[in-house]
Amino acid sequence: MDTLLNIPHRTCDITGFKVDLRSQTLIRVNAVVAVVCLLMAIVGAILLVFTRYQPVHLLSAEWYYRLVTFHGLNALIFWIVFFEIAGLYFGSTVVLNTRFCAPKLGWLSFILMVGGMIMVNVMVLSGKADVMMTSYAPIKAHPLYYLGIILFAVGALLGVALFFGNLMIARKEKTYGETLPLFTYGLMAAAIIAVITLASGAIIYIPTFLWSVGLIQNIDAGMYKLIWWGLGHSSQQINVAAMVSIWYLVSFLAVGGTSINERISRTAFVLYIFFICLASAHHLMTDPGLSSAWKVWNTSYAMYLAVLASMIHAFAVPSSIESAQRRWGYSKGLFEWLSKAPWGNPAFSSIVLACIGFGFIGGTTGVIFGMEQTNIIVHNTLAIPGHFKGTVVIGTTLTFMGITYYLIPLIFRRKIVAFKLAKAIPWLFFIGIAILSVSMIVLGQFGVPRRHWDASFSGGPFTHNFNPAVDFFWTLMMLGGSLAFTAALLWVLQVVVSVFFGPRVNGPQDMQLKISALAPEGKKHKGYEAPGTLILTLLFLLTFLVLFFLNWKWLAATWNVN
Amino acid sequence: MSLLTPVQGWYHKPVAKDERMWMVISLLLCIMLFVWMIMWHVYGKQNPSNVTYRTSPKEYAKMAEAYLKKNMMGVDNGVPVVKPEPNSDVLVMGEMWRWSPVLILKKDEQYNIHISSKDLMHGFSLQPVNMNFQIYPGYDYVLHFKPTSSGEFKIICNEFCGIGHHTMIGKIVVIESDADLVKYGYDKLKAPTVFKKDSANAGVPKTEAEMMSAGEQLYTLKGCVTCHKTDGTTLLAPAWNGLFGKKETVIADGNTSDVIVNEEYIKESVLEPQKKITKGFEKVLMPVLTVSNEEIDQLIVYIKSLKK
Repeated sequence: MDTLLNIPHRTCDITGFKVDLRSQTLIRVNAVVAVVCLLMAIVGAILLVFTRYQPVHLLSAEWYYRLVTFHGLNALIFWIVFFEIAGLYFGSTVVLNTRFCAPKLGWLSFILMVGGMIMVNVMVLSGKADVMMTSYAPIKAHPLYYLGIILFAVGALLGVALFFGNLMIARKEKTYGETLPLFTYGLMAAAIIAVITLASGAIIYIPTFLWSVGLIQNIDAGMYKLIWWGLGHSSQQINVAAMVSIWYLVSFLAVGGTSINERISRTAFVLYIFFICLASAHHLMTDPGLSSAWKVWNTSYAMYLAVLASMIHAFAVPSSIESAQRRWGYSKGLFEWLSKAPWGNPAFSSIVLACIGFGFIGGTTGVIFGMEQTNIIVHNTLAIPGHFKGTVVIGTTLTFMGITYYLIPLIFRRKIVAFKLAKAIPWLFFIGIAILSVSMIVLGQFGVPRRHWDASFSGGPFTHNFNPAVDFFWTLMMLGGSLAFTAALLWVLQVVVSVFFGPRVNGPQDMQLKISALAPEGKKHKGYEAPGTLILTLLFLLTFLVLFFLNWKWLAATWNVN
Repeated sequence: MSLLTPVQGWYHKPVAKDERMWMVISLLLCIMLFVWMIMWHVYGKQNPSNVTYRTSPKEYAKMAEAYLKKNMMGVDNGVPVVKPEPNSDVLVMGEMWRWSPVLILKKDEQYNIHISSKDLMHGFSLQPVNMNFQIYPGYDYVLHFKPTSSGEFKIICNEFCGIGHHTMIGKIVVIESDADLVKYGYDKLKAPTVFKKDSANAGVPKTEAEMMSAGEQLYTLKGCVTCHKTDGTTLLAPAWNGLFGKKETVIADGNTSDVIVNEEYIKESVLEPQKKITKGFEKVLMPVLTVSNEEIDQLIVYIKSLKK
C-alpha cells in the first residue's frame, strides 16, 4: 500500500499490519502517561479507603477532601482519557493500515493534555482547588484549576479530531475494505460521543473560568450542575463505547470470535450515539427546578434505548465467544465453550470479568438508581460511587488493563515480564473491586453519605448512629479496597518493568498471548446460535428484577413525599 | 470481525433465533421500566416535587430568619426549634454548616417544607429513613412531606460543602401526640421573648440584660454557633468564652500582628471577616453575614458576658 510509502513505518511480523512509526510513538506516550495517572489515582484511593475506615481514620479532613478531588480526576478523567486517545490512534492507524494524518498536531494535543493534567494536579495538591471533581458552583477553585481542565479538554478534542482525520485518509486511500472493522466502528461511536461531551465541558468550564477570575458575576448553581453532567456523565459513556469495542476486539484476538450479527452490534453503537448523552439527567433526579416529565424522559434515555443497546452487547459479546468456541469444537452441553475458554490469556479473563462486573454490579444498579423515584434512596450516598466502581473500575479500567497485555508486545515490542503474575492480576483486581463496590452499595443503602470525612459527625450539634451492620461492610470495603489496590499496583509495576526493561519481541515466537485464527465456518443449523449465552443473559435479567423489586420496596417504606 | 472488515453479505445476515428472543425481552423490559416511573406518579407515594421558586440566598436567608423569629419555641444544642402546624409552609435552611431549624412534626400529617441554601450546594439526607434531596442556593425547593413513622430523625449533609461538612447535621422529631414531647426533652423549651411582637420588650432591647439576651438569640439564629463554640472548643473557629479582652495573633495581608479583642475589633471582624484572620484558623473562611449595627452591639454584649 503506497499510503505509507514515504513515511517511516514497519510491517508487523506478528499481525501483518503496517505500522506508521510516528503513530506508534504517539500511542506509546499517551499510554505511558495514562499508566502514571492510574498510579496516582490508586495511591489516592488507598489513602481514602483507610480514612473512611473509621478505626484507622488516616487523613485529616482537609487532606481527605483534597484527595477525593485528586483521586476522582486522575481515575475518572486522566487515566481513562489518555488511554482512550492511545486507543483511538491505534484503532484509526494500525488497524486500518494507514498513516497518521498530522503527527505534529498529535504532539500538540499530547502537550496540551499533559500540561493541563499537571496544572490541575498541582492546583489540587497545593490546596487551591478543594472543590471535588464536580466543582459545583458556587464553590470556587483557583482560576488555573479551571484553565488546566480546559487545556486538557482542548487537547483531547484535538486528539479526537485527528482520529477522524485518520479515518478520512484510510477511507479515501481504501486501506481497508468497504466497511470499517467493528472495533474501529465502536471507537468511532466513542469519538462522536466524546465530541458532544467535550463541547458540554467547554460550555460550562469557560464561563466558570471567567467567573473565577472575576469577569462574570454569577454562575447559576442549577445551570452549572445540568451542563457539567453533560460532561461528567457522558464522558463515562465514551468509556462504555470504547470498552465494548475492546470486548469485541479481545473476543477476536483470543478465540477468533466475531459478532454473530454485525448489523445488530453496529445498530447498538448507533443507539449509544443518539441516546446515551441524555444520562446527564441521572444526577438531577432529586434536584429542584426540573419537571418530572423532563426527568422521566431524559433519565430513561428516551425510553431506555441506550440500555437496550447495552443489553444487545450483553448478548452479542459473549455469543461471539460462544459461537467461535463451538466452531472450534467445544460444543458439548451448554457451557463447554466457557470452561475450555483461554483463561490463561489475561486479556481474555479481564474482559470476561469486566463484562460480568459491568453487567451484574454496575449495570443493574445504574438502571435502578437512575430511575426518578428510586434515586431518592441513594442520591449522594456511598451507593453511587459503589455503582460506578462497578462500571468504570471493573468495566472500563479492568478492560484497559487487560488489553494492555496485547499492546505491550504489539506496540511497545516488549515481552511481558513475570507473565504468570499477569494471569492472576485480573482475578485479584476483580475480586477486590467487586467486594469494595458491593460493600459501598450496601453502605449507601443504609444511608451512609459519600464524600464525607467523619461518619461519627464529631463537632456537630447532634450525632447519628447508622445501622450496626455498617461496621461489617466498612471492614469488607477496606479489605476489598486493599486487595484491589495491591492488584492494581502489581499491574502498574509489571507494565512499567515490561515496557522499559522487558526483553524485546522479535517475532511471533515471542508472543506470550495467543492471537487466534478466525474461527472456522460453522455448519448451517437452525437451532440456537448461543444457548449458553442466552441462559447467562436470562440469569442477569433475573438478578436485575430481584434488585429492582427490592429497591422499590425500600422506597415504598419511606415517608411520603411529592 | 472486529479487526477486519466484515464478510460479504454481513448486512443481510438474518438475526439468530436466540439473539432475537433476547432483544424482544430487552425491549419489553425497557418499556416496562419507562411506564413504571410514570405509573408511580399515579399510584406511588414517593415522587420528587415539581415545585420550585426562584429566590436568592440573601432573600431566602431573610425569609428564614423572619420565620424563625416568629415561630421559634426554643433552642436545642444551639439550633432553633420550631413546631409547625400541619399543612403549613415550613422554611428550612442549609448553610455552612448546619440545618436550621430543628422540626417537631406530627405523624401522618403533611407539611410543605421549603428548603434552600444560604451559600453552597447541600445534600438533604434524612436518616434513618434514607431519603435524599439536593439543595441549591437560589432555588426554593418545596417538598410536601408526610412522616409515616415517629421518633428522632437526623438530617445529614451529603453534598460536599467545605471543611466542616461532616459537622452539618440537623434533626427532625416526629411525635404522635404532644405527650411525646417529654421523651425528647422538648416539653420544657422556652421561647425567646425578645423577638415576640406581643412581648413587652418588642422592638429595640435597651438594658444590658436585654442586649445580652438578644445577642444570645442572634448567636443561634445567625448560625455563629456553628463554628464559634462557648465551651472552649476550637474545631473551626475561635471559641467565644473568654474571648473579650484577650490578645490574639492575627494575619492581615500576609503580616502577623497582635490585637486585643475589643468592641472595635469584633465589629470589624463581623463586617469584614477576611481582613484580619486569627492565626490557626486560616483554612475556614468566615462568611459575610447580614447583620445590622444594633445586632452587632447585642452580639458584643453577649460575647463580653461569656467568661472563661
